[in-house]
Amino acid sequence: MLELFAFVGLPYMAILICIVGVVWRLRKDPYGVTSLSSQFLEGKQLRWGSLPWHFGILLIFAGHLVAFLIPGMWQSLMSVPWLLVSVEVLGIAATLLCLIGLGVLFFRRLTTGKLQKTTKLADFVVTSLLIAQVALGLMVAGGYRWGASWSTGTLTPYVWSLVTLSPDVSVVRDMPLPIQLHMTGAWLILLILPFTRLIHMVSVPIHYLFRSPQKVVWSNPRRHEQAVTARVTQESRRHFLKAAFGLGTAGVLLSVGVLDKLGRFFQMPGMHKDEEANLLETRLRRLQLTAEEKELELERMRAEEIFVARLSELNGQAGKYFIDYAMRPGLAFKGEDGWPMLLSAKCTHLGCTVGNQVDASGRILCPCHVSYFDIKTGMPNPGAPAKAPLDKIAWVVRDQNGSEVATESARGSRTGRIDVAIADTCSLYIVKSLTLEA
Amino acid sequence: MRNSPAQSVFDFITSRLPLYKLNMKDMVTEKEVPVHRMSWGYYLGGLALFFFGIQVLTGMMLLFYYEPTVSEAHESVEYITHFVTMGALIRNMHAWSASFMIFCVIAHMLTALAMKAFAKPREMTWIAGVLLVMVTFAFGFTGYLLPWNQIAVNATKVGLASIDQVGQYLPDALSHLAEEVRVTIQGAPAIGQATLSRFFALHVVILPLIVSGILGLHLLSVQLHGMSQGVEDKPKRKEKFFPFFILKDFKEWGIAFLILFVLALCLPFDSLFPYPLLEPYNALGSTPDGIKPEWYFFFVYYPMEMLPFWVIIVVMTIATLGLFAAPWIFRNSSHKTMRWIASAVAGYMIIMTLFGEQIYHAVKG
Amino acid sequence: MRQISLLLVLLTGWSAASAYPEFQRFSQEHGGQPINCAMCHASGDGPEGAGRGQIGSLTPDELNRLNAARGAFAAGVLVESPILNEFGNKIIYQIGKTRFLELRAHPEQLADAYGFASDLDVDGIPDAQEYLDGTHPLNEVHGNPWRLFLHNLAAYKLHVFMLALATAAGLWGLSHLLFGLAQRTRASAANHNSN
Repeated sequence: MLELFAFVGLPYMAILICIVGVVWRLRKDPYGVTSLSSQFLEGKQLRWGSLPWHFGILLIFAGHLVAFLIPGMWQSLMSVPWLLVSVEVLGIAATLLCLIGLGVLFFRRLTTGKLQKTTKLADFVVTSLLIAQVALGLMVAGGYRWGASWSTGTLTPYVWSLVTLSPDVSVVRDMPLPIQLHMTGAWLILLILPFTRLIHMVSVPIHYLFRSPQKVVWSNPRRHEQAVTARVTQESRRHFLKAAFGLGTAGVLLSVGVLDKLGRFFQMPGMHKDEEANLLETRLRRLQLTAEEKELELERMRAEEIFVARLSELNGQAGKYFIDYAMRPGLAFKGEDGWPMLLSAKCTHLGCTVGNQVDASGRILCPCHVSYFDIKTGMPNPGAPAKAPLDKIAWVVRDQNGSEVATESARGSRTGRIDVAIADTCSLYIVKSLTLEA
Repeated sequence: MRNSPAQSVFDFITSRLPLYKLNMKDMVTEKEVPVHRMSWGYYLGGLALFFFGIQVLTGMMLLFYYEPTVSEAHESVEYITHFVTMGALIRNMHAWSASFMIFCVIAHMLTALAMKAFAKPREMTWIAGVLLVMVTFAFGFTGYLLPWNQIAVNATKVGLASIDQVGQYLPDALSHLAEEVRVTIQGAPAIGQATLSRFFALHVVILPLIVSGILGLHLLSVQLHGMSQGVEDKPKRKEKFFPFFILKDFKEWGIAFLILFVLALCLPFDSLFPYPLLEPYNALGSTPDGIKPEWYFFFVYYPMEMLPFWVIIVVMTIATLGLFAAPWIFRNSSHKTMRWIASAVAGYMIIMTLFGEQIYHAVKG
Repeated sequence: MRQISLLLVLLTGWSAASAYPEFQRFSQEHGGQPINCAMCHASGDGPEGAGRGQIGSLTPDELNRLNAARGAFAAGVLVESPILNEFGNKIIYQIGKTRFLELRAHPEQLADAYGFASDLDVDGIPDAQEYLDGTHPLNEVHGNPWRLFLHNLAAYKLHVFMLALATAAGLWGLSHLLFGLAQRTRASAANHNSN
């Protein structure tokens, strides 16, 4: 019964009384809707009490509101550990700020002579209630940690169930006592709001922050100049205030969204073991390829002759790539007469590697700028971007025993004879001496 | 009466670099910018500067991971793209911002031409600007090679091979000179580790140093002289440089940053190429289809494909010399003439960049 | 001899070696950009040859897996062929070898047969669509630029929104900072003049 009253009856009563009360106050005495400022009576202590209190409570309130209004997004943000820790730390700091502020205000009410006359019982009630409420909040934050995260799944649905007029106390019924008291305290504060100085919440002069300054002055030249200077100072101060606000907002947003990731750019990325192994494998393979390329280069510096292919592997349809003495790609074909034809595969236009597929008219294509080269002569087609023919490459054919059967120099002069009978057992080499001769 | 030579040198320098204006009043409080229908041109230089700043920042971040060797370069870039937190974003930003920067630099030069901003006393500013354009292209060319994938190396190969082509027009005794120049740039007869090392050094140390020098001079003289008038008639309206003009500059930077960020986040630069071109460069295999330079080289690349090479050399030489000598060649030209010239050049660049490929295929059949 | 085998590895032209060029040809024409065997195969040069992921270099264990994959005639058999990549293996799993061989005559139907549910590289573009577009199905930064852009924009819309907010707030603040400074400098300049 009690819990039904505390979690359903009291909230609805508080909301109802609050609304009715505020409307009544506004109609009865519109100019009385203030915090009954006592700044004129005492200013110094007030600053040390009021400012921390208001800064703290606004931040806390914003935190509560966010968890209530956008629980889903808030929850996902709070699943980021460092963000959750920051929010909790910020919240506790703000709570301490509130407590300090309230303490100063309470002490001030008790000790400042000028204030005693205007202080009513209601003021002490309000301040005590607020202190109790903040202290309870601190207990909750300390005792049942990570409320920024767990509240979205428990308290938020409860409050929403009240808002949607289908009260559901199942989640709050078994909550620990400090949390329940903290909630009850909130409803109580709401309840007394219309009848105390707390009413100033509905008349916060936010527009003062943004309106242009007004100053009433006597008009004479000196005063006028002073007024202008004062106005400029004030206006520029207003600009600086807005600047701080805008840049601060941008800074906070950027640091939340970007800076942490920028930091992690420099951290070692967390990789799965498999991923790491695969990456290492790829890198190793690239190193091997580089090493093998260098081996080819070394071989071309040292060896007098380099094996290209067995004659039987060659044909006239698809050339076989090899690397010539200048470390450039070459292509080997077999002509109709059974003699090998070796051409540089480096396009004489801009140095792309020519394709190895021979088309119907006996030509190979450089894909970069579409030049066709005749494989017999190496000549490009008329009008092709390439003007010069592909170089011929010197070769020697040796039989099984390694004795020389036939040669061709880079200029095309041939020696020897390739016997069809033994052709298939012969091998083709490129020759350094014949290359240099050209 | 004639001045002494020393006096006229001194006069020349003080009128070109009026350092006495280096004070709060001339540089900030009293400085004004003309407002007219070409005013938008005043913002392009600032935008280019902004993108340069992005390049410096993202470039330094990429340096933390990039490894300039033929065996590691490609893998290290892949590592940045796929594994480093925000690595893909930073890399894409660098790539996109490079394109934007080059676009702004070209547009800035053309509007400066159209506004006759090179006229006395701004000759030094103009020449420094032309040098900066060239350095920017050099940045693009050297940076393009660094990922060491098929398109990077093959496009660089094609680009460098065009140096060889100059040889055929030289007298016989000098005809090998062109090839020697190419080999010197490459560091080896074929593109390889030597080339990568050189291009890397150029891209991250030498060119930035050159830029900071020339850019300093350029910016200083722009600030000392203020904006040129830009149009024939004295503009009716002027606006304060500080805070109004500079604020618009900042706002543009903000918008540019947003666009750049969205593009870098959502549109990986790699997706603009066929994927076989992104594979590591294979020195011994055949050249894959679809090799072409970056878009900002199209205006020389496609004509080079279609016209005899000597035409390109002649036109390029004339254009380069013309750019440097513009303050003296066009000394007496009207603003209107300059606008015509600049629009013609801009029109040519736009058409070649957008439709170069189609024109090439139409011409070549 | 080592160098010789090496040459073989390095120099196999891709066009010669693709096992099922019908699909490559179709994807290339439909997508409008050149592709190579690496879309489905382990090696960009196709399965023939002695390089990594090619038939000539397989270990006995890999040969066993290759044979198992070759025998996967019906759909639904998990295969791990060493000459195929993840996408290639998934094709065999989804439609089976028999259907795959039939589709050689209709390479345009492969996408539908494979289905649009699988997205192996999680870039928001289904594998089948990447086959149609001629983009790489296993590279999350490779895809049809427009599709990739739309997908990423939707995925990062919160980031983009927050950044836009930050930029707007920052510019607003900056403008007021400049206005404030301008007023101060103007005032101090005016004071200097009047003194």
